[in-house]
Amino acid sequence: MEGDFLVSASDWHLFLAEISHEMNVYVPVDNGVHTEYSLFRNNDLQIRYNKPAPVSPLKIFFLPVKENVLNATHAKRMIVGIPACDLKGLDLLDEIYLDEKFPDPVYEKNRENTILVGTDCHDIRDTCHCTTYNVEPYPTVNADFTLASVNGKLIVSVKSARGNTVTDLLKKHFPVSEPGKDVLSEAVALRSAVRDRLETQNRNLPDYTQTGDLISKSGDEIWERYAATCVSCGACAAICPTCTCFLLIDRPGFGKIRQMDTCQYPGFERIAAGEDPLRKKAVRFRNRYMCKYVWKSEKFHAQACTGCGRCIDGCIGSISKNKIFTEMHNPS
Amino acid sequence: MADTLNIYQPIKATVERVIIESPLIRSFVLIPEKEFTFKTGEFIELTINGFGEAPFTPSSSPLENKKLEVTVMKTGYVTDRIHALETGDVVGIRGPYGRGYPIQKFYGKEILILGGGCGFAPIRSLLFNLIAEKEKLRKVVLCYGAKTPEDCIYKSFVEELRKIDKFEVYRSVDKADQSWDEKVGVVTILLEDLRMDIENSVAIVCGPPVMMKYGTLKLLEMGYPEKDIYLSMEKNMSCGLGKCGHCMMGKYYVCKDGPVFTYDEIKDQPNIWL
Repeated sequence: MEGDFLVSASDWHLFLAEISHEMNVYVPVDNGVHTEYSLFRNNDLQIRYNKPAPVSPLKIFFLPVKENVLNATHAKRMIVGIPACDLKGLDLLDEIYLDEKFPDPVYEKNRENTILVGTDCHDIRDTCHCTTYNVEPYPTVNADFTLASVNGKLIVSVKSARGNTVTDLLKKHFPVSEPGKDVLSEAVALRSAVRDRLETQNRNLPDYTQTGDLISKSGDEIWERYAATCVSCGACAAICPTCTCFLLIDRPGFGKIRQMDTCQYPGFERIAAGEDPLRKKAVRFRNRYMCKYVWKSEKFHAQACTGCGRCIDGCIGSISKNKIFTEMHNPS
Repeated sequence: MADTLNIYQPIKATVERVIIESPLIRSFVLIPEKEFTFKTGEFIELTINGFGEAPFTPSSSPLENKKLEVTVMKTGYVTDRIHALETGDVVGIRGPYGRGYPIQKFYGKEILILGGGCGFAPIRSLLFNLIAEKEKLRKVVLCYGAKTPEDCIYKSFVEELRKIDKFEVYRSVDKADQSWDEKVGVVTILLEDLRMDIENSVAIVCGPPVMMKYGTLKLLEMGYPEKDIYLSMEKNMSCGLGKCGHCMMGKYYVCKDGPVFTYDEIKDQPNIWL
């Protein structure tokens, strides 16, 4: 952790107040029910660092539900408190939206204008399973700098030149110190403890590659059974950090709106003549898993699931993909 | 459209002429606001201002860059509006997108083309290309099927094609009338009497999904290797750029990795015949 430094939580808060005059700053706020990103206001007192997965995935900042792709605005912004699963999810978004042949100019500008501040997870939800898919519960990729709250202070770790520009400002205006060995040891111990909890919680869950094989070889029965309570609401895709399908909608003046879409909605693959390979709900339901664990992993380098567990939390049909995979992996 | 700033921005094109091909099919000659080039088999997204967008493979010659023609069957939400277009109307076009036909791989070979219904549209563009390069080809055989004689499109083009050295045309309809003196039955019956040097031949199929399926099976039965059967796949598409996900066919984005595939490439992917 060379280059790391310590800052007090109160000074960091003052720094956020300062920098929020220059850019939109989003912070994780505890609203009593769950954690969610909120635009920083100086009187926000419920900022929570080191919490797992805010309700909205990071992708919402780069691929909002609806966006005018021919007339987009790009405010400068900093997003604070991003868990590792969401940062890892950006790998796939970048591969799709910044591909060599057709880089998406709106996504590209949004990425350029956004400073990403990652955070270690010091807690886990019942549905968290990042380590099963080779994602550590602390940022390893895509963050500009990271924060870990230890003993009332924040350890700041710089990860990119852009991050360095921001942390230099912090160091210029507020007192910082070298983190002592005890603080660093504590941070490492916290990581290790969270890792152990995740491993224990998910000990029966197959890993990413095993999951792909299991889904490929599965029969229809398990999908029909689990899809019975699915209402095709698309919540699983909406809050997934790596589901990025959309529909291009036309507006007068040859305008184009990119709107979130998902294969879970009826008609997603229906062609003009009426044929629809995803007409049946159970087939749509399975399609999303085939896409994430089989097809995307053949086509892209990046993973299409980072184990955040939001699709389980958000399912109003109480469908747990972890239960499906555990059942496939350990048939009774 | 590599020279435009935004991948989602259409360029404008004016409808120069509307050609009624059949009761359900019309062709639209478009004049883009700037030169527009494409390779045969690539496709465009055609925008009806403020209403919707749909993908079409141009049916005109890829050697022409000032005009562009699309042939559209009236079959859904957007195509209803396209059929209402009149001379002078302005539409949007994005593209060209996708992977078209690898013409160079066809040099020195016999080419068997199997088309059905509105699937003649991309094939006509291909045929314009093949006519221009006929010295490099051994022969081109077009087998085309439609429901009825009045559903057969490009009638004058077919007559012209029959006069060209090295080109043969055979047609069938499911249901004939008194005017029809060609074959009656599904399009694959046209394959039964053909004499092709299959070892030195490639086959190209374009048409409705069910015709593509049985056409491909028949070609395999005739002995065509899987790698020499070229299919132009139909899928729901939105962006055309390999991003929106609508056209996923297993690991492929049909819009970007296709729409032209060999059967060998896609035979293990799901829902290829929908």
